[in-house]
Amino acid sequence: MKHVVTVASRELQGLFVSPVAYGVLSLFAVLAGFFFILGVAWFSDVVVRAQQFQAFDVLADLNLNDRLIGEFYGSMSVVLLFLIPGITMGLFAAEKVQGTHELLLTSPLTIWDIVLGKFLAGALFVLLLVAVVGFYPGLLFFYGDPELGKTLSGLLGLLLVGWIYVAIGAFASSLTRSQVLAFLISFVLLLCLLLLPAISELGVAGGGASVGAILSYLSTNTHFEELVRGLVTTSDLVYFAVMIGTFLVLTKTAVETARWR
Amino acid sequence: MLRRGSRVIEARGISKRYGDLVAVADVSFKIGKGEIVGFLGPNGAGKTTTMRILTGFMPPTDGTAIIAGHDIFSEPLAARRCVGYLPEQLPLYLEMTVTAYLTYVAKIKDVARRARAPAVDRALERCGLTEVRSRVIGNLSRGFRQRVGLAQAIVHDPPVLVLDEPTLGLDPLQVRDIRQLIADLTSPQDGNQRTVILSTHILPEVEAICQRVILINEGRKTVDAPLEELTRDGRSLEELFARETTHDVAEEVES
Repeated sequence: MKHVVTVASRELQGLFVSPVAYGVLSLFAVLAGFFFILGVAWFSDVVVRAQQFQAFDVLADLNLNDRLIGEFYGSMSVVLLFLIPGITMGLFAAEKVQGTHELLLTSPLTIWDIVLGKFLAGALFVLLLVAVVGFYPGLLFFYGDPELGKTLSGLLGLLLVGWIYVAIGAFASSLTRSQVLAFLISFVLLLCLLLLPAISELGVAGGGASVGAILSYLSTNTHFEELVRGLVTTSDLVYFAVMIGTFLVLTKTAVETARWR
Repeated sequence: MLRRGSRVIEARGISKRYGDLVAVADVSFKIGKGEIVGFLGPNGAGKTTTMRILTGFMPPTDGTAIIAGHDIFSEPLAARRCVGYLPEQLPLYLEMTVTAYLTYVAKIKDVARRARAPAVDRALERCGLTEVRSRVIGNLSRGFRQRVGLAQAIVHDPPVLVLDEPTLGLDPLQVRDIRQLIADLTSPQDGNQRTVILSTHILPEVEAICQRVILINEGRKTVDAPLEELTRDGRSLEELFARETTHDVAEEVES
């Protein structure tokens, strides 16, 4: 366990010494601000129009959590899809290019120490990104009264989605020594995960309802949306844990197999 | 602990195959405490593969190795703890300072918390790095980087050192310094007398510091003898190297 922390802290130091971490953080903060302002502008526009037309049913249906914060979280989950492969692409690939994987693999570390250390570093970085996202809905508490529970469960959802992305990114990075290839592999895997509901709808059209249900269960978005709606259920949390666990096991297997080849 | 002359490294019939390609075929040898063994062979002969197996980087396809009494399969962590390894490509994090890097290596090599700072200081001093200790590794010259590589191999004070071309790309003075350092590390006056496997293409280097030569050609051990035996009657290692490695090439040309 102490080795996991050692590996993770070196990885984080590496991220913060290079401009990559700062670049990703600033880009992320700017994008978050952009999507948030866009969301606020849209929301106030709808409110003003609804008042003008005395559309009380529309007004009754409007609330900050569903129409602003939820949408905002959704946009940020897509931004994470682009940024996280950029952070994770070097986790294993860079070590192979630098030759430092020879140091790691000839040290008294288990492969789990290495894999979990790398994942922990990525997970903590994502925690930082989600904290940046959390700042914006936090502002709304001064001007309106969004539900705290829903706001937080949505953030939890975003964090868990980010962690799945890190696990997938770590797996992609363990497959190759090229960071560009690692980025592309994880990006394609994440896109597939995002597009699963669309594919499942095709499946339903073809008559395979059960296949469709399975595919939509596998999709990250299905579970993320539940959390954004404020529904924290064990089955959703189990989904996130299983996805993260599966990709960490795959990563460990990939590192081990590379050693045997 | 281990007696002088007792076996510290033992390779038992190790083989490594990559698909159809045989990189190492049934190599066995025993190396005693305090020995400095020169590991010779042409490029692609299987030297690096053998070293990677001994250091636990990759398992052999067949056979096993015992490092300081620990089998690399049944006690991999204990075996790796006993080895200091300088790979051919220096395993350096260029963005770290020398001290931060060596402290990190000490941590992952299981040096106890309280012993860590003294261990790093000792490695810095032995490798002549004290004055560059707070510099970033990426800004150091080739010679200093090589020393940092050597420092990471000895920071946990291992009984076995495996050095893959430790003087590659250095100028003659730096080569002399590194050789002196290797000789110091294994001298009987040193508290923890080390066993060294040293791979190199520089034959005079072998003549200068090694007591024994193991020559590998096409994955097989072809020579394993004390240096003095090989260089008796004024013969040179170069002749031996040429004789043991080129006849195969001649055969290949014929066929």
